[in-house]
Amino acid sequence: MAVKYKLLKAIDISGLSFLSPVVRLVTGEEPAKQVREIGRFIVVPVVAFLVFLWLWSVLAPKHKTKAGEVPTPTVVWDAAGGIWRFHERESAKESAYQLTGPDREEKLTAARARLGELDALEAGAKEQLDAAEASSKERFDAIVAPSKAAHEQAQATARQSRRDRTAALREKASAAASSPDERSALLREMRAADATAEVEKAKVDALKDAYAEAQEVAFPQVKSARNALTRLAEERQFLVKYIDMLSDNSREAKVAVAKQKLDEATAAYDSAAPDADLYKLGGAVLKRQELLATTEASQYAKPWTLPKQIVRSLLCVFTGFLLASVIAIPIGILCGLSPTFMAATTPFVALFKPVSPLVWLPIIMIIVGGFMPDPENHWLVVAFGKVPFIKDYKIDPMFLSSAITVALCSLWATLVNTALGVASVDKDHMNVARVLRLGFADRLLKIVIPTALPLIFAGLRISLGVGWMVLVAAEILSTSEGIGKFVNDMYTNGSSQSFAQMFVVVFIVGIIGMLLDRIMVVFQRLVSFDTAQAAI
Amino acid sequence: MRQVEISNLAKFYPNPYGEPFRAVVDFNLNIEQGEFIGLIGHSGCGKSTVLTMLAGLNEISDGGVIVEDREIDGAGPDRAVVFQSPCLMPWMSAFGNVMLGVNNVYPHASKAQRKQIVESALCSVGLADSMHKHPREMSGGMQQRVGIARAIALKPKVLLLDEPFGRLDSLTRMELQDVMLEILDREKITTVLVSHDVDEVVFLCDRVVMMTNGPAATIGEILSIDFARPRERTAMMNDPLYYQCLDHLVSFLTERAHLRTTPRIHDSSSLMGFTGRKVETPEELEKLAAVNS
Repeated sequence: MAVKYKLLKAIDISGLSFLSPVVRLVTGEEPAKQVREIGRFIVVPVVAFLVFLWLWSVLAPKHKTKAGEVPTPTVVWDAAGGIWRFHERESAKESAYQLTGPDREEKLTAARARLGELDALEAGAKEQLDAAEASSKERFDAIVAPSKAAHEQAQATARQSRRDRTAALREKASAAASSPDERSALLREMRAADATAEVEKAKVDALKDAYAEAQEVAFPQVKSARNALTRLAEERQFLVKYIDMLSDNSREAKVAVAKQKLDEATAAYDSAAPDADLYKLGGAVLKRQELLATTEASQYAKPWTLPKQIVRSLLCVFTGFLLASVIAIPIGILCGLSPTFMAATTPFVALFKPVSPLVWLPIIMIIVGGFMPDPENHWLVVAFGKVPFIKDYKIDPMFLSSAITVALCSLWATLVNTALGVASVDKDHMNVARVLRLGFADRLLKIVIPTALPLIFAGLRISLGVGWMVLVAAEILSTSEGIGKFVNDMYTNGSSQSFAQMFVVVFIVGIIGMLLDRIMVVFQRLVSFDTAQAAI
Repeated sequence: MRQVEISNLAKFYPNPYGEPFRAVVDFNLNIEQGEFIGLIGHSGCGKSTVLTMLAGLNEISDGGVIVEDREIDGAGPDRAVVFQSPCLMPWMSAFGNVMLGVNNVYPHASKAQRKQIVESALCSVGLADSMHKHPREMSGGMQQRVGIARAIALKPKVLLLDEPFGRLDSLTRMELQDVMLEILDREKITTVLVSHDVDEVVFLCDRVVMMTNGPAATIGEILSIDFARPRERTAMMNDPLYYQCLDHLVSFLTERAHLRTTPRIHDSSSLMGFTGRKVETPEELEKLAAVNS
């Protein structure tokens, strides 16, 4: 029982209240009521989501775009799998590059064995594709051939009739009498002929569209067989590269080569005749030594994968959020304490709050660029480059600009809420402070800030939400590595997969935004001395 | 020994469309060291205004208050206040709430000494077991006990009680009245209690100051409650004098509170009974008083 109530309390604090009827049902408390609650808070949302998925899968294929059909849920799911495979394979290559000794040998054998298996698998997939194509050929011909024939015939007829008309008109024109009446009659006929040609062309176009549509009629077996084959081809490509990374191109192999060359150079230097160009040989030794050191420290140049971009986006949003909090909370407290300060601040809040991140970003980029004319060697970038985890995420001026833009757009909610919280300190509490003659610091720390804390956190929660939304936009514009950059890449890339991958991003951004919000709700609840105050 | 001297105390509120609104005028009262004064009157008559002016939480418009030969200027821990609502900081435990004032009033005491002061204050209001509870875990009565502990821990010269038991149920109220009496019998702190409960003031106070109706409220009558201390509830309630005192207060509030006369002093020898008829003029009052005495 104690466990039950602890669980219920945890659920309550985390704001996942839809789970509490499940816990209560499992422990046998008022089953009928709990079933009703589960129906309302779990079944209804799930059904609504299923309806959404169904509508999506029905409606999406109806809209044709330059980038192909709007992807259906299954296509998007496959695209998510593709994104994940790419990430896993790149990570595998990265670790392969650094492997040494027996580990490397072991992986190498496994990869080669898999590569051997692939031949058979690919042959099988090819067979299946052929079979699928053969089985669908009949149906394909039944649908496509007539429309193709109709289109071709219409095209031929139209061409012929136009030729005939043109010839007839030319004849008439050469025989045209000198009378103005006949000349104007000729013009009229020419115009009529043009109109007829237009009508015929429209007919041909319609038939062409019908033919194109017939061609696009999907044959699921063919499609999936083709996908399976593509996937195998991708795996082969990966394995070849992976084996390369494990063998000839591994760091160990490269280091061995560099060592050998160094040995050769050293030997040449040591055994050189006294009259040889020792200066030149010594230089070669030094150069070889340097090369060996670089090779030993080298890393696989891993491209940015979406999971890594997500982490960078999160880093960026938290940097901006931290910046916003550090600015907004003290200013908000001052505003709440002093009506004069509030009066001085109000115009700035009113003026800058509505400004879009897309306006801030270029301005901030130029300003930050001004502070960092040589970003590679700027002390801030160098300092971040030494921090363990963060150094992998390349803190550059673009990152800082995006973070500052996030801060500028999100700080207002915290500022206004903090000011409101501080200004709404209970008058009775202030009377107590007066009777006790509390000093400024005590009033601030023991009365004002504790009172304002729930509202401050409500503001922070809004700020984080706004910041996350702003960040993706800022990344698209600044092409700073992150989720926004991924979307931008997919947009410009335009491969058959990229449209669906953009849809994947929608869900990732949504889920992360939701999680951030939940985390803030938990914090808000923890600082609220009065639990009723914390909204869900 | 005279400890508090209130002379010509008045409160005016600015009125944008005419003369300032006179809430309280000509309030004159001397309070002896250790005396327990009750302030009673119809609601809105300005009794709380007088108390908040004594506390320094409300600006004094005219006249002045002298506490131990020094005119008061603003609020301070020498005049501790217990408010109608407990006014505890919800983010602090009972101990923390009391410590908040103690830290400030005894800056030179050691940590152990301060802890001891806070603990003894909480014990004396009967919260020895609940020192580290937060306000949300306490009942209204317990919260008000913390409010009282916070005030007495300051060792004030004057204790100002602004309807401190007004929001409690009658059983809790009686308990807290007993706690209050016990503390005051021991500590002998000069106390002013604002209340609209006639039983309460008769039971607790040495003198009851009855205020006339506002606007321009002032002292109508002062009644000495001639019961010896320490007082005991059952004994008092078995004494006819207790009911005569109640009678006097009720008759003032219902029959004479609207009249403006010079303040009249009463004690057990000059009590006026409840007649059920409103006294119309000051002359009539003179006649009535002559009959009674």
